Amino acid sequence: MIELKKVHIGYTESILHCQDIKLECGNVYVLVGKNGIGKSTLLKTISKQIAPISGEILVGSKGIRNISTSELPKLLSFVPVHFPQMDYVRSKEFISAGRAPYTNALGKITEEDSLEINHAIEALGIETLSERFTSELSDGEKQLVAISKAIAQKTPVILLDEPTAFLDYSNKKKVLSILTKTSKSLNKCIVLSAHDIDLCLEFSSNFLVIDAYSKEMQQLVTPSREDIISIAFKESE
Amino acid sequence: MIIIFLLLLPIAGMVHFMSGHLDISFNDLINSLFNFDETNTNHLIAREVRIPRMFTAIIAGAGLSVAGLLMQTLFNNPLAGPYVLGINSGASLFVAFSIMTGIPFLSSDLGIITNALIGAMVFGLIISLFSEVVRSQISLLLIGIMLGSFTGAIVSLLEVSSDASELKVFTLWSLGSLSRIEFSQIPLISLVFIVGIVGSLFLIKPLNLLILGQDQARLLGLNYKRTRFVIIAITAILIGLITAFCGPIAFVGLAVPNLVRIMLKSQHHGLLIVACAFIGGIFVLLCDALIQAMENYMLIPINVLTSIIGAPIVVLLILRKLR
Repeated sequence: MIELKKVHIGYTESILHCQDIKLECGNVYVLVGKNGIGKSTLLKTISKQIAPISGEILVGSKGIRNISTSELPKLLSFVPVHFPQMDYVRSKEFISAGRAPYTNALGKITEEDSLEINHAIEALGIETLSERFTSELSDGEKQLVAISKAIAQKTPVILLDEPTAFLDYSNKKKVLSILTKTSKSLNKCIVLSAHDIDLCLEFSSNFLVIDAYSKEMQQLVTPSREDIISIAFKESE
Repeated sequence: MIIIFLLLLPIAGMVHFMSGHLDISFNDLINSLFNFDETNTNHLIAREVRIPRMFTAIIAGAGLSVAGLLMQTLFNNPLAGPYVLGINSGASLFVAFSIMTGIPFLSSDLGIITNALIGAMVFGLIISLFSEVVRSQISLLLIGIMLGSFTGAIVSLLEVSSDASELKVFTLWSLGSLSRIEFSQIPLISLVFIVGIVGSLFLIKPLNLLILGQDQARLLGLNYKRTRFVIIAITAILIGLITAFCGPIAFVGLAVPNLVRIMLKSQHHGLLIVACAFIGGIFVLLCDALIQAMENYMLIPINVLTSIIGAPIVVLLILRKLR
């Protein structure tokens, strides 16, 4: 679903690179690396918020350069690390925004849209939150609402920037288990960055590990905890 | 809620109409419109003074409030507004040029409107270019305030070097007035106003997305640059029109959208735009009714009164935010 071909990423100069990497639907990929190594930059590059320095990125067999602004939100949704601060927006309204790529110029919510919105709410079991203002939710609840929006967007790819960052242990587990389940049941390609290596190992066997020294990202399947730590957090070579 | 606005607006309109110091009845109002008698003083006053002024108050209040709402959503900042961001000062600067250069075309009605519009547009684009560079909300407000001070200084320079009669025209203009529009100008002004309001109604979907922040809005398919240009253009049309005829009117564009959001507890812009137009119109109508009622004791310029009422409201809003 996502293909990275000899990609170098960064804002002005390359901070992170990889050889050919292919990410498939039905899996959750956990992106691991030191602070500031470029995990967010990578996710922003895949979601076309910044351009890669070199190489090619394909989403759904099409180069992202050739995917239009209106087409991209139907292929890929992005859950940022911080939930937007907004007054007077109810969870359901926020989730409805996930339908924006499909609605007409006036933003009219059709029957199909409201069906998808309800599905997305049910998928996360957050019916009780739907009428509450997002500004009143806890961090854990906000994350669930944000994921629900991504599901309402009905994209084959979901990227999440540190979805477990501000959550307590049980909410971390809940979010990871929901994402794993969703990747299988709705056949999605989910990429998330995280620092909770041990917890993530319980839920996924697919890791994208960024070498602390060479700055190369490599794909590891069923790695051990020690493998990941020795690559991502080694002090020197 | 909307029904309440629909009822309140005509009531506020009548209060405004009746608040002048000459007693003119409701019958005179109707007759002056449909059964106009040139020799009847009451008809003349109704038609040439009261009705245009009522109309101006509604347009000014509604237009400024909607423009303020658009700015606040675009810059994702509840304290943004045409006045704070220096868009009014842009219009003022260009009007100052047109009045005080003494070139006849520029100081005609059309010249002033065109200039106010261009000024608002230019300053709108300047501030949006700055918004590209600075992501912090506070920085943008500070830049807007600096822009305002800077243009204020240039306007003062113009004032110093202009002659007495030009200076008087400009000073009166800068105090703000709702009694400058004539009955015959109403259709043209309505047209421009309606273009602005209807234009903003076509922005409902992008505005609702912008609430989530620029990045999320883009990721949901919003063409940000185009949207920003259209929002600035519509704001410039509304602000330019109102500033040209009424002078700078402070705080309406800042306070009303915030009040409306608090009252409706919603961020749905379809609702917010309509409510801002009504509440804004009602707010300025009532302010101006107060001015008319006080006319025998004291002459209060509209800009002074909206500042006296608006500034405390804004302080309250800030306190509420910090709490």
